[in-house]
Amino acid sequence: MTKHILFILLVALCAPSVFALSDAETDSLCSRFQIEEVEVTARALDKDVIVPQTLKGAELQRLNALSVADALRYFSGVQLKDYGGVGGIKTINVRSMGSQHTAVYYNGVQLGNAQNGQVDLGRFSLDNMEEIQLFNGQKSDIFQSAREFGAAGNVYLTTRKPYFKEGERVHVRGQMRFGSFALANPNVGVDVRLTETLSLTMDAEYVYSDGKYPFRYRRVLPSGETAYDTTAVRQNGDVNAVRTELGLHHYYRTTGFWRLHAYNYYSERGVPGAIVNNVWRNGERLWDRNTFAQAQWQDRWFNRWDMRFLFKYANDYTHYQNYDVRLLPSNNEYTQQEFYLSLANKVRLFSWWDVSLAYDYQYNTLDRKNLLTEDVTEHFLRHSHWLSAATAFNIKEYVRAQASVLMTAVQNTHLLFSPSERGAGGVPIPKFTPGLFFSFRPYPKMDLALNAFYKQSYRYPTFNDLYYTDLGNASLRPELARQHSVELAYKTNLPSLSHKAVLHPDGLSSLSVAVSYYYNRVTDKIIAYPKGQQFRWTMLNLGTVKINGVDAKADMSLCLPLRFVLRTRLNYTYQTAIDLTNPADSYYGHQIPYIPWHSGSVVLGLDWQSRRGDHYGLNYSFIYVGERYSQQENTVYNHVQPWYTHDLSLYGEWGVKPVWLKANIEINNLLGQDYEVIQNYPMPKQNIRCTLAVRY
Amino acid sequence: MHTCRKILNLYSVLCILSAIAVFPSCRTDEVVYPTIGTHITDEPRQGGLYVLCEGNMGANKARLDYINLESGTYYSNWYGSQNPTQMKELGDVGNDLQQYGNRLYAVINCSHKIEVMDLQARHIAKIDIPNCRYMAFKGGKMYVSAYVGSVATPEMLGSVFEIDTATLSVTREVKVGHQPDELSIVDDKLYVCNSGGYLMNRYDSTLSVIDLNTFTETEKITVGLNPTRIRVDDQKHLWVCCQGNYRKVKPQIVVLDGDEIITRIPTPCANISLLGANAYVLDAENKELKLFSTIDCQLSTVNYQLSTMEHPYGLLATNEALYISDAKNYVSSGVLHCFGYDGTEHWRASTGDIPAHFCRVTKAFELYGDTAAKPATGTSSPYISKVYDYVPAMGQFVNLLPEYKEGDDAAAMCHKCEQAIANNAGGLVCLGGWGGYITFGFDHPVDNKDGFDLRILGNAFLMSGSDTYGSSEPGIVLVSRDDNQNGLPDDTWYELKGALYDDPSTLHTYTKTYTRESDTLRNPFHTQPYFPQWVKEESITFTGARLPSMTESVNGQNVQRILPFGYADNKPNTDSEGTSFDISWAVDADGKSISLPCVDFVRIYTAVDEDNGATGELSTELSGAIDLHPPTD
Repeated sequence: MTKHILFILLVALCAPSVFALSDAETDSLCSRFQIEEVEVTARALDKDVIVPQTLKGAELQRLNALSVADALRYFSGVQLKDYGGVGGIKTINVRSMGSQHTAVYYNGVQLGNAQNGQVDLGRFSLDNMEEIQLFNGQKSDIFQSAREFGAAGNVYLTTRKPYFKEGERVHVRGQMRFGSFALANPNVGVDVRLTETLSLTMDAEYVYSDGKYPFRYRRVLPSGETAYDTTAVRQNGDVNAVRTELGLHHYYRTTGFWRLHAYNYYSERGVPGAIVNNVWRNGERLWDRNTFAQAQWQDRWFNRWDMRFLFKYANDYTHYQNYDVRLLPSNNEYTQQEFYLSLANKVRLFSWWDVSLAYDYQYNTLDRKNLLTEDVTEHFLRHSHWLSAATAFNIKEYVRAQASVLMTAVQNTHLLFSPSERGAGGVPIPKFTPGLFFSFRPYPKMDLALNAFYKQSYRYPTFNDLYYTDLGNASLRPELARQHSVELAYKTNLPSLSHKAVLHPDGLSSLSVAVSYYYNRVTDKIIAYPKGQQFRWTMLNLGTVKINGVDAKADMSLCLPLRFVLRTRLNYTYQTAIDLTNPADSYYGHQIPYIPWHSGSVVLGLDWQSRRGDHYGLNYSFIYVGERYSQQENTVYNHVQPWYTHDLSLYGEWGVKPVWLKANIEINNLLGQDYEVIQNYPMPKQNIRCTLAVRY
Repeated sequence: MHTCRKILNLYSVLCILSAIAVFPSCRTDEVVYPTIGTHITDEPRQGGLYVLCEGNMGANKARLDYINLESGTYYSNWYGSQNPTQMKELGDVGNDLQQYGNRLYAVINCSHKIEVMDLQARHIAKIDIPNCRYMAFKGGKMYVSAYVGSVATPEMLGSVFEIDTATLSVTREVKVGHQPDELSIVDDKLYVCNSGGYLMNRYDSTLSVIDLNTFTETEKITVGLNPTRIRVDDQKHLWVCCQGNYRKVKPQIVVLDGDEIITRIPTPCANISLLGANAYVLDAENKELKLFSTIDCQLSTVNYQLSTMEHPYGLLATNEALYISDAKNYVSSGVLHCFGYDGTEHWRASTGDIPAHFCRVTKAFELYGDTAAKPATGTSSPYISKVYDYVPAMGQFVNLLPEYKEGDDAAAMCHKCEQAIANNAGGLVCLGGWGGYITFGFDHPVDNKDGFDLRILGNAFLMSGSDTYGSSEPGIVLVSRDDNQNGLPDDTWYELKGALYDDPSTLHTYTKTYTRESDTLRNPFHTQPYFPQWVKEESITFTGARLPSMTESVNGQNVQRILPFGYADNKPNTDSEGTSFDISWAVDADGKSISLPCVDFVRIYTAVDEDNGATGELSTELSGAIDLHPPTD
């Protein structure tokens, strides 16, 4: 039910991937997904220049995934770093450029971490998520905030939006999930229609897991005899997290709305740490609170001038403490604040030509306090300005093009440093980065497109890079990524094998295939490098990486007889990411750490719908990550074996009007592979999750 | 349905294509990390050199490499080939490597342990010391600095632990300053660098002086900010490298005579190595190797080609060459350079990550070359399988336990002993008075592993209500390795050092001769001959150690002292710890601790020469022995 709404809103807001809907079948079941309220007369200009990878709605819920990070594994060109367990950090790296080149947006506003530039995607639950999209380069639409032009890869997370049918006032969702490692995960959501156009959403979730999963280390002698074989239980991996969200939505006319969104996340967790010889347990604890409130207002005037205003205030607190008696105690507190303002304008000059101009401003602060030494609190400030200009035009139905230029100016300040030690903190030097996007459709009647882009983007040094005690380097330059990408994409509707039961949102059997080739170059890469003196490290702009890759993906859904629907989703990535820093290095020309040459995934889903509307589904997924190296040097001592997991889930959904019941059983890592994504961080073996949900 | 087939065909093609692409390789069994030998030089030298590569924190990549200098071969991951069964290999962050006696000791900082190995780097034991950093040795004791003590303190003070190298257990601990690093011993004083390295902008600047007799900190000497290295030169002067604060306070070397500062040499000092009257100082900042005289502390320049190195790190000056390692960017393999004293580079070799610590050994080992240990057969039994010799001294149970029959020779008596005590038979063999012995073995060598290796059963018991008195007839335990590989116990014997080894009342060279002639006394209970009848000679002479008298009168009863540890037939068989032995206790004839990775033969002889009249002489009895960790098949 909420699904339609989402869909509608999606179309209204983003307009991607909707063009196939106009000829949707008028099957009674299909109508659930139909978009009666929206006219689907997409202009050529609104079609995608960059085709995003998308997971949404039911498909997203069907995956064996607990967090956003788990779901992102099903995208091509994405490498997930996963330290294991419910509480382990999970970050993504798009097309090997480094995780800090990827921006993550929550309902349209970027999530930030000025301290280390890292967004832990393991903390974002899928239960409240309607859609996850990944854009290589940037979002197709030039109507975006200036900052969105700034990242090399962009992940958009969109939470559920309320939808009410005529006469409905309240929707309630309740869900309970249990699973291995003492997972308990209740979730409650309430949507209230306050007036005809104003609605309120509330969502609350609690996650607990003791994180005690068994793992096994086994090695054999070259003869095949067992050298050692040990199974132990992961310790100090427990997590306790509470998430609450509140949204207020006011759609006061077709083109105008405002939204308020408040988010609060609190967690306490153990940091299980690396398993090394003689160490089976680590004692680090972490407390986090992430709070933000964001407001968005958008409207259109004169039917050609779109304007969007965004505001965000975020306040994040992290407390890190080490209880391991074998290590020196540490107890640190970090508080970050962020104020963000954005004003974006898009003007439609002609039906074939749009221009946009946007300005963003952000103010970040970080307070770092060592609670043991009770030193003065260190205080860091940053002012950032972004100004973007972009244009998009089309030549008939054949060509669509976008060009953008972004100016970025960042000013960092460390209040304890003398001006000379602050490096380039005084006057920010504006940096300009262009982006060019192009899409060619030789046969406008066919959904066949050749898309290409070139884009430059900067990854700015974080507070840690700049000022970390004895390690930071205040005169760091931003790291530059240059992307070149060509894509051939084809999408078609397949003749339905059944004219009766259609579950697919598009109401049709469909096939989409895309192959892309990319060449990226990252220069001035910020890396830790030892200083002349012993034990001392510093951050330097030292590093060049050349990335060549091919992504191939194919999605297909087939409506089969007897109300069966088969869905498949295939992804495959081949990439080389070669270190070209210095020919004198022993690792010159080697693949950079943790980038596999081969990776891919297969998802197969079979759904069946009964005549009265109950759904049953079986979903199988396979994820493969090929061999890779844990360090710069590709030697036998740094080699990491491939890993692959088979996951299975079974679900059913029953309507007992006016209530819907849903049950889901997932078995992950079905064959119990003992694997590591990051060396010395063992991953769970076979594990199970059960979910029971009620919707009203 | 036609379209259906088409679609399915298309789909199957896609599936096949993607399957080809998606399965480039599968996971296989994880094989142990290999040891790779690389020929690096044709210039032979004596012995070998161990290289401990630190590896980065959390990477578990501490690596012990070995160079056979005689064949000029560099073996990466030598430890791995010697100890493939060590769970998670050597460990995380190697921090120090030293030889003491016949053992090699490596500090593995983030694995919180000291790895004890024989000179071929075969694992003997590990000693758990939290956050251990560096070692120093003296008088059979090891002193280890650690960033934390056994009890954490709010001031975050470090500790120095004293470890008995015979028992490998911690004997004493003393609190020192902040983050103690290197430590050195001059006479009875231990000097410890308190670096304060974790305090960031508030480094420590003192040496803790510890009196080794009382094991207390007697004073603190202020030397300079952030002292990390301390070495003793040929004139017993201390060279302390102070790193400064990496900002305004510059690094320096402070030379001390005892508590007194002789001179301060302003120079960066990443590493230092003393050889004779020369102090080689590695200035990593300027990529220079500086030579100072220990006599006047004056600089005489040396020019080695360090400017081509990325990060000079480790340093060892030996009589034949200078070894300097380049740690590169710390996260990839380093390079070890060998220079002659004329400044020419002899060879270089690729190492593990962060090659840092060296240990020169006099022997050259071949990979898998030493096979003294017999391969374990598939039918390893933890119990005695063979008795090689049985030569009891005169005693009241001799010729009874086991029983002598007319015509029995030594071999027959050994066989009877086997019937009594081999394969867990549970019988009893009596060794008679002082010196009488039995030699037995198992169907495999007994490995020297962590903790106890062997249990020896007798017939001792405790006096009711007492832990310290009872019936104890202690026997000394000797072990031997079949060095000549002839399968016979004719190799060097090593005594397992028991509780009374260092007791002044123990005689270490005692001789006693028993003659057939003297076998006249009988007690009423045992009237058989007391002299072993199968012995052809008229007399038997034993030599060995003799323990003091065990017997005391308690409540009018003649009972024996129960010794704390280290003797056969001393504690009741129910006391598994008290009847257990650690091969690591082995000492040679000079009392020096010796490390045996395994033993092939065990000998037990009666260690007391004591006759209590009616109850007869004290004589060790043996009822069996158990290998505590027999090879598993």
